[in-house]
Amino acid sequence: MLEIQDLHKSFREGGRTHAVLEGASAAAAAGEVLAITGRSGSGKSTLLNLVSAIDTPDAGAVRVAGAEVSALPEPARTLYRRAQVGFVYQFFNLIPTLNALENVRLMLELNGVGGAAARERSRAMVARVGLAGRESSAVDQLSGGEQQRLAIARALVHAPRLLLADEPTGNLDEATAREIVPLILSLARDAGATLLIVTHDAALAARADRTLELRAGRLEPRAP
Amino acid sequence: MRLLEAATLRHLARHRAQLALALLGLTLGVGTIVAVNLATASAQAAFERSLRTVNGAATHQLSAAGGDLPESLYVALATHPPAAGGTPLRVSPVIEGYAQAGNRVLRLIGSDPFSALSGAAEAAAAAGPGAQAAGDWLTKGGTVLMDAASARALGLKVGQSLELRVAGHTVPAELAGFIGEDAPGAEALLVTDIAQAQEWLGMPGRISRIDARLPEGPGGAALEQALRAQLPASVQLVATRARARETFAMTDAFTTNLHAMSLLALLVGMFLIYGAVSFGVLQRRTTLAVLRALGARRGEILGLILKEAALLGVGGALLGVLAGIAIGHALVGLVARTINDLYFQVAVTEVTVPVATLVVAFAAGLATALLAALVPALEVAGAPPNLALSRAVLEARARRIARALVPLSVGLVLAAALAVLASSRSLLAGFLALFLLLIAVAALTPAFLEAVARLAARALGGGSTVLRLGLADVGRSLSRTGVACAALGMALAAMIGVALMVGSFRASLATWLERTLQADLYVSAPGPLEDAGRLFMPGRVRELTTLPGIAAHSEARRLRVDSPQGEIDLNALRLGPRGGATFTLAQGGAPAWAAFEHGAVLISEPLAWRLKRGMGGTLALVTPQGLTEFPVAGVYREYGNERGEILMALRTYREHWHDDAVSGLGIYLAPGHSAEAVAQELRAQAAPDPLYIRSNAQIRALSLSIFDRTFVITRVLYFLAAGVAALGLVSALLAWELSRARELALLRTLGITPAGTALMVLAQSLFMGLAAFVVAVPAGLVTAWVLTAVINRRAFGWHIDLEVQSAGFATALVLALLAALTAALYPAWRAARAPLTAALRTE
Repeated sequence: MLEIQDLHKSFREGGRTHAVLEGASAAAAAGEVLAITGRSGSGKSTLLNLVSAIDTPDAGAVRVAGAEVSALPEPARTLYRRAQVGFVYQFFNLIPTLNALENVRLMLELNGVGGAAARERSRAMVARVGLAGRESSAVDQLSGGEQQRLAIARALVHAPRLLLADEPTGNLDEATAREIVPLILSLARDAGATLLIVTHDAALAARADRTLELRAGRLEPRAP
Repeated sequence: MRLLEAATLRHLARHRAQLALALLGLTLGVGTIVAVNLATASAQAAFERSLRTVNGAATHQLSAAGGDLPESLYVALATHPPAAGGTPLRVSPVIEGYAQAGNRVLRLIGSDPFSALSGAAEAAAAAGPGAQAAGDWLTKGGTVLMDAASARALGLKVGQSLELRVAGHTVPAELAGFIGEDAPGAEALLVTDIAQAQEWLGMPGRISRIDARLPEGPGGAALEQALRAQLPASVQLVATRARARETFAMTDAFTTNLHAMSLLALLVGMFLIYGAVSFGVLQRRTTLAVLRALGARRGEILGLILKEAALLGVGGALLGVLAGIAIGHALVGLVARTINDLYFQVAVTEVTVPVATLVVAFAAGLATALLAALVPALEVAGAPPNLALSRAVLEARARRIARALVPLSVGLVLAAALAVLASSRSLLAGFLALFLLLIAVAALTPAFLEAVARLAARALGGGSTVLRLGLADVGRSLSRTGVACAALGMALAAMIGVALMVGSFRASLATWLERTLQADLYVSAPGPLEDAGRLFMPGRVRELTTLPGIAAHSEARRLRVDSPQGEIDLNALRLGPRGGATFTLAQGGAPAWAAFEHGAVLISEPLAWRLKRGMGGTLALVTPQGLTEFPVAGVYREYGNERGEILMALRTYREHWHDDAVSGLGIYLAPGHSAEAVAQELRAQAAPDPLYIRSNAQIRALSLSIFDRTFVITRVLYFLAAGVAALGLVSALLAWELSRARELALLRTLGITPAGTALMVLAQSLFMGLAAFVVAVPAGLVTAWVLTAVINRRAFGWHIDLEVQSAGFATALVLALLAALTAALYPAWRAARAPLTAALRTE
């Protein structure tokens, strides 16, 4: 489903060029959970940006369901992201001016689903992440764990093929993280989405089907 | 409402102070445009109404080159009208002058009720509440009709007696009725029978003009031709509408200046909107990036920001239109006073609200908001949805933009220079250059601010750490500080420029008055210039000028003459003992005066500019003999008449116009005689006729006070623009304080006291005010040069020597510091009181 092929990406810093990815390659099947680990600055977030077509590679390709998304022009890249990608961030990144339900419904609206259908689907998704009754709450009234649950609901409500999670437990305490990890895994599996998790959390990585380590710009299999 | 829109619009609702300041800026900008338009349109409408009232059904006017007409001409036209295929000609004699009742100067119209074409007389005939009494004015001497508003102001009722001052005499009169009940256009109007007006104004057998009504169509054209053929050469036949247009066109340059000043307020308002929108975008950068990451397209983000700006624009423009109508009511008095001082009498009792102006101002406000929002909207929509984009990266970008704006600023200055050099007379090009210059100032300011903030922080190396930190922060937070400082710098540059221009103009005027007013006393009969009753006949001149104590005298005959280019003021002079030395010649030297004495004329700079004439050319004037060419021997400086005037030797004037009267005398005292004693002698000699005697010092003071009044409205407008800029500073400081709440809280936790934090915010604001002032000083000088050498020259033809006076700079400095201080008070208070825990928890 997801194919990452020989990705290269470098950035210019002042007069120097800093290579972040130097031939990173990987593949993941539909419904597979793939964990990516690596040291800080190893290029994990860059990799997620390339997979989500937020950024473009210097060389190489990203294919999703056979389509080379890294070669898409705008606005096709945005439309790909809108329809086929779900995001879960370390700092939640919920829209502060929308309430809990609206944050989830926004994804459906962006995908052209409106009215009662959107409300019902959002409400059901909010309930699935355990936030029933909190639909009208302002996001800053939710705890960190609740905000991350809401972010997971938003990421999956439109049934994306690909779920990208960037340190989803990085901003949570251990107990909350223990609740969030099974939730994200089970929901992704239920939806049949390929889950790509970037994490430092060994416990989370251990729950993935496979773990790859980003080292010297390349993705290497990591022994379990 | 879609969630995407709701997400951004709710942001506005959450930041009400920010929203209010942006709205206020736009409101003031749009409001100023509406107010200026409303005030000038009201003055024009009042003028047109008054003309309609006075002219009524008359389509044409017959007037004489010398000022008035013999009554016999009217009799001839009435009894033997020109024949043109049976088309009837209606004519009516009119006498015009001024009368003073109490403290009100009223326009006195003498009309023949049987042949009246004038609206005033017709209105009088159909007088509303005073209809019964109105019939009295036909039978009883001294009866007058007055507009209802003036009568009310004077506390007069129908049938009541009053005293009028007409042509220097006090005459008894009786109010016979009103000219309608508050009839529009009848403001400050007094109507009486023509014979009565002749008696009061001392014009037996003479009339001011003849009103004529010519039918429309070919019959009317034939009749006009026949009428022209029958008229003596000295009599002009002019369509009333054309004359009205020509008269009001005199105020074009004045009103153009006002419109330009009002645009300045909107331009400054634009920066305020830009600041508000760009800060709103900056605040929501993460949210907008998340939206982009979730799949919102660039166009959708662009649309969101622009919709938000449009909402702001519609709100601000609507409020601006309402505020403008309110400000316009206050401004109309100032505009009318200036028109009265400089051009003609107009009494504005009603405020006209031109719908087109409101629509244009509304559209300008909306367009301003959209234009201001376009840059930040394009920037955020075009940026990759990169959540890692830090504040430091954004500020680095702001610094890069600021530096890139420096060559743009140079380019704008060059474009301004090109606009001036490529056009020699276009006023529009002058204003374009002015606005390009002001925008160049705004473009340069952020880079300048960054540089001086860095230098100042470095210079304070061994001093207060907090102060050093604060100053360095000014340069490092250019995305916030740059725009506010730019708006303030631009407003201050305009302010300094206008102050220097006004100061230089005043100094040039004072020098000119000093040089021109050489006689010790100036004597005239009281009353307005047009009033025939203020003339001295040769016998009276001899009596007055041969009194003991008078060493010499000059004589002047001032009147308005017709020319192919329209009416021109003529000043026919018999020069005093210093001859032509009292004039400063811009063209022509001593030979000019020799030519002057032999029939040539000199023309003032404004007239030379307006008619594109100069030394060596000729000027055609309508004399009683018909059109006569006069050689132009030179051009002289003159600031008393912006339409310009002609200087002619009195002898030359008398040869052509056969008019021995003079309008004024300049008296030179013999040594040892006091001005008061001679003035008393003169009054005694003239008794019982009153004399209007003023010393040269009094005339100088009066002229300068009229000048100062003229520029009150300009000052009001530039204070408005500066006010908008100060608002921009408040808005920017608040926004800045919000965006660095965490940083300030961190400083507090490290041990800086609340007072120290507040002082840092105050110091930063004052530094920004000072930086804006420093940029504005050279820019203000260039602006002053453009205003004096380009705009004033092209608008009026005046040559003004630019004088750099400290007062203009001092006012701007005080205003800059006051604006900075006021702007910082609330943010400083907030910074000192912010709860540390909340500030540290949230970014």
